[in-house]
Amino acid sequence: MSYDDRANARPNLNDESDVEEEALVNDYREQVNFEDGMSELDRTTSLGGSQTQDLQAQLTAAATPLEYQATLETKFASYDNYCSLFHYILNSEGPVDLEVPSYYWAWDVIDEFIYQFESFCRYRNRIARSGSNEEEAQLLRENPNTWGCYSVLNVLYSLIQRSQINEQLAAMKRGEDPVAFAGEYGSRPLYKMLGYFSIIGLLRVHCLLGDFSLALKTLDDIEMNKKAMFARVMAAHFTTYYYVGFSYMMMRRYGDAIRMFSHILVYVSRTKNFQKGGNGYDAIAKKNDQMYALIAICVALHPTRLDDTIHSAVREKYGEQFYRMQRGGPEALPVFEELFRSSCPKFISPTPPDFDNPAVNVDPVDHHTAIFMDEVKNTLFNPTIRSYLKLYTTMDLKKLAGFLDVEAEQLRSWLLVNKQRSRQIRWVEGGLLEGDLAIANDLDYALEDDLIHVSETKAGRRLVDWYLRNLARVY
Amino acid sequence: MVAFDKCETRPAHIDAILNGLDRYNPETTTIFQDYVQQQCEDRTFDCYANLALLKLYQFNPHLLQPDTVTNVLAKALTVFPSPAFSLCLALLPTHTQPFPTTSEAQAASQTSDFVESVQKLSRLSTLLESAQYTQFWSTLNSDDLYADLTADVAGFEELVRIRIAVEVGKTFRSIAADSLEQWLDVRGREALSKFVADVCGWKVDGDAIRVPTNKENEARSEVKSERVGVDMFGRVIRRGFEQAA
Repeated sequence: MSYDDRANARPNLNDESDVEEEALVNDYREQVNFEDGMSELDRTTSLGGSQTQDLQAQLTAAATPLEYQATLETKFASYDNYCSLFHYILNSEGPVDLEVPSYYWAWDVIDEFIYQFESFCRYRNRIARSGSNEEEAQLLRENPNTWGCYSVLNVLYSLIQRSQINEQLAAMKRGEDPVAFAGEYGSRPLYKMLGYFSIIGLLRVHCLLGDFSLALKTLDDIEMNKKAMFARVMAAHFTTYYYVGFSYMMMRRYGDAIRMFSHILVYVSRTKNFQKGGNGYDAIAKKNDQMYALIAICVALHPTRLDDTIHSAVREKYGEQFYRMQRGGPEALPVFEELFRSSCPKFISPTPPDFDNPAVNVDPVDHHTAIFMDEVKNTLFNPTIRSYLKLYTTMDLKKLAGFLDVEAEQLRSWLLVNKQRSRQIRWVEGGLLEGDLAIANDLDYALEDDLIHVSETKAGRRLVDWYLRNLARVY
Repeated sequence: MVAFDKCETRPAHIDAILNGLDRYNPETTTIFQDYVQQQCEDRTFDCYANLALLKLYQFNPHLLQPDTVTNVLAKALTVFPSPAFSLCLALLPTHTQPFPTTSEAQAASQTSDFVESVQKLSRLSTLLESAQYTQFWSTLNSDDLYADLTADVAGFEELVRIRIAVEVGKTFRSIAADSLEQWLDVRGREALSKFVADVCGWKVDGDAIRVPTNKENEARSEVKSERVGVDMFGRVIRRGFEQAA
């Protein structure tokens, strides 16, 4: 089934249906069995001569990770390789006649391109911070434009524009034929795939730079469901949900973040059997754990009933930490910080650091952690408040302050904060940045002078599930 | 709810820049700066556009105007509780260290006025976000630097005061006048009565201020019933067909 067929397929009765799931599992199997994309590429390229040789080397290199211990020279050379490759693809006369073997190659190129940008920026910052390696510092100082943020964004935006992928996606959303909007370039798989994954790439780059709203805005034309093209490449599927979920989290839309993380984690847990042994399994397993940690943080900040599978996995992986965060109070602070640091993206600073003043080059991860922790500190006593109020229908403020051993004025602040945080914007339809204000908590209250009136929203009996389960048993 | 990337008061030419690649063009910096100035004057706020300006500064540090950055931050304070302020901080140079430990703060504020300003505004943000309104006003009035930082934002104090009143109205049905006086930094019972009556439409009842019932402060108990739709029975229905066949 081609990409277009999938996208235009008539909507299923139920989006989460088995059929859908089955198709993805098959895709995944195919992906795991897909071993050497490059050899296939050799066969399908139709160019001749020594230039081809060169191009082949570039194409192969672009999708291949650098060695862990790569020297600065290698990193510079790799940057040059990307530049000339993308220049060739984007600025030749007319579209380049290259057949790419699969979606995976296009994803690998974009993924590796951004990964190298990310690690280069982090390395450069580290050299400046430690101030120990004068030789490399000098080399970096002389090449301020290598892996520059403008050139990286330029590549991604150019690929998107050349392929007219946003126009194509918008057409598909309207139910029209995307080919009519693809143009000379976008109708070719090479451009279309590179363009598509560049959108996901942009999501990631914006997030790494701390621009979370723009990150979400970038996905305006992509529909977040299993029919999306990214869902065909496991790593892309995974990456998309991680960064979207994280961006929501930074916008304090924890409900939406939990929805994103849960979606992908449930999916992964169902396809587990096919992942083992696949290349990239380790990377996925690591991101998987990071997302469980992020879900634990989100649930602590925003109590939510999780899917059973997710809930037991969170308890299994982060049981003690999860419990401490949910209890709140000052003892929870180091847990929040530790889990945030280990599961946030590796933030970068886009401009060359100040090599002459090591002290001013603060690690961007520290910067973002401090900003996030301020919000955690402000809401640290929400769990305490909730756990007490749950027990009463009316309560005197001074009496509760006595229980908690705080001043009445302090308690009023906590009550205000808890009330504010229980209102959150939640996505309903449209772009990812849209949403309506929703009451995120079943516990609500209002103060009449010093008397707290507590109310609780109870969920009625859930009969449909019970009915379906019993129906399945007898028929 | 207006989506985060939209703003009702945004002029068309700003919207065009934001939706195109010109948002990365250093030459548009001045246009965004003028727009910030305009927001300060006519009491509007466009977070998404201001973030685009901060991003331009992030990419082109030599263009950064400290005064404009502090104005953007001061404007973001007037819309609490909201992630606006922290989203702005996220795009600032990391050496500003908005929430430093005490020793770091001393070291940093000696190095640059800009860093000190960012840290001071972040302190105000923490106080507002954690609903410590009395401390917010006393901090704001404790140092002339705060007055300088918020001077460009027309009606800064009034905007914050209204925000606080809105938040109080969501949580309280009635509140002691003494408390409210401190939270709003309104001196004297008469001024308070005038403010709550004229601006909020609340009633004064002796020593208490009565807030009329609204959607947020009624705190009604309810039972949420299950939503039942045909799609939930999709599998059952399909199985019915499959077995019949």
